[in-house]
Amino acid sequence: MTTDELDPLIHVPTRLKIVATLATLREGDTLSFTRLQDMIGLTPGNLIIHLRKLEEADYISSKKSSNGSVSITQVALTDHGRAALDAYTRALRDLLGGL
Amino acid sequence: MNPVPDTTAAGDGGNFDARQAAALLDQTTQRARRSLQPAQPWLLVIRGVLVLAVLGAVWLNVRGQHPYQHPTAALIPVCIAFGVLNFIATVTVARRATAGVRGRSRLRPAEIAILTAAWVGAFAAMAAMASVGVSDRVVYGIYPIAVPLLAAGVSWAGVTAARREWREFGTGACVAITGAAALAAGPAGSWLVAGIGLCVTLLGTAAVIVWQQRRSVVRP
Repeated sequence: MTTDELDPLIHVPTRLKIVATLATLREGDTLSFTRLQDMIGLTPGNLIIHLRKLEEADYISSKKSSNGSVSITQVALTDHGRAALDAYTRALRDLLGGL
Repeated sequence: MNPVPDTTAAGDGGNFDARQAAALLDQTTQRARRSLQPAQPWLLVIRGVLVLAVLGAVWLNVRGQHPYQHPTAALIPVCIAFGVLNFIATVTVARRATAGVRGRSRLRPAEIAILTAAWVGAFAAMAAMASVGVSDRVVYGIYPIAVPLLAAGVSWAGVTAARREWREFGTGACVAITGAAALAAGPAGSWLVAGIGLCVTLLGTAAVIVWQQRRSVVRP
C-alpha cells in the first residue's frame, strides 16, 4: 500500500487538520467558522477554499444564520465525512504497520 | 515528531507522507480535544484539593462537638465563597471551551431546570426542616452536605445517562455515592466523607479526561 491510496481530499495537511478538528465534536454539534479558524490558525480566505472543497465532496456541511447584523456560519462533519476520516485512519494504520 | 508541512491555498499534499499524516492527525485531534473540553483537568484538580481543604476544615471544626451543633460562623462564609468561586470558575472555563459550539452537547432548558430544581429543592427542604424544629444534628450536620450531593449527583447522572454521556454519568454516580456515604457517616463524619469522596471523584474525572485527550487516533 502507498500514500496514493489515501483519500486525496483528506491527505492534505490543512484539510486533515479541519476534518480531525471537526471529528472531535460530539455527534449533532457544529462549530462556528471563526472558532474553527482560530483553532486551525488559517486566514479566512484560505479556510473558505478548503471548506468549499470538503463541502463539494459532502464531507462537511455548513449552515449560515444571521444574528442581527452579524452573519454566523456553523460547520460540521457529515456522516459521509466521518466515514471517510475513519477509512483514512484505517488506511494510515495499515501503511504504518507495513513500514 | 516529524515536522509537518502545510499548504497555502488549496494545494495538494506534496511530500506529505504517512508518518507525518499520522503525527498531524494525532496532534490536531489531541489539541482540539483539549481546547473543546468544558471540564478542564487542571481546574478539576484545583477544585479537588480545595474541596478537601474546605470540608476537612469544617470536619476539624465540628468533630469535637458533643452534642453536635454546627460549624462555627466564621467557616460558613468560607464555604459559601468557595461554592460561588467554584461555580464562577467552572462556568467561565466551560463557556470559553464551548465558544462557537452549538448543538446536542449544550444542556437543554429542561435539563438545566432539572439540575437547578434538584439543587435548590435540597436547600429549600433544609430551610423548611430548620423552621419546623428538626434537630441541629440533622439540619446543620448530616443534611447540608449529604443531601445536596445526593440530589445533585442523582440528577446529573440521570440527565447524562439520557444523553448517553458515560463519563459524565460516572462523575454524577460517584457524587451520589459520596452523598449516600456522607448520610451514613453521622453529622461530623459526613463533612470528612464528603470532602474525601468529592476530592477522589474530581481527581479521578481529571485523570480520565487526560487519558481520553491523549489517546492516539492512529495507534490502537
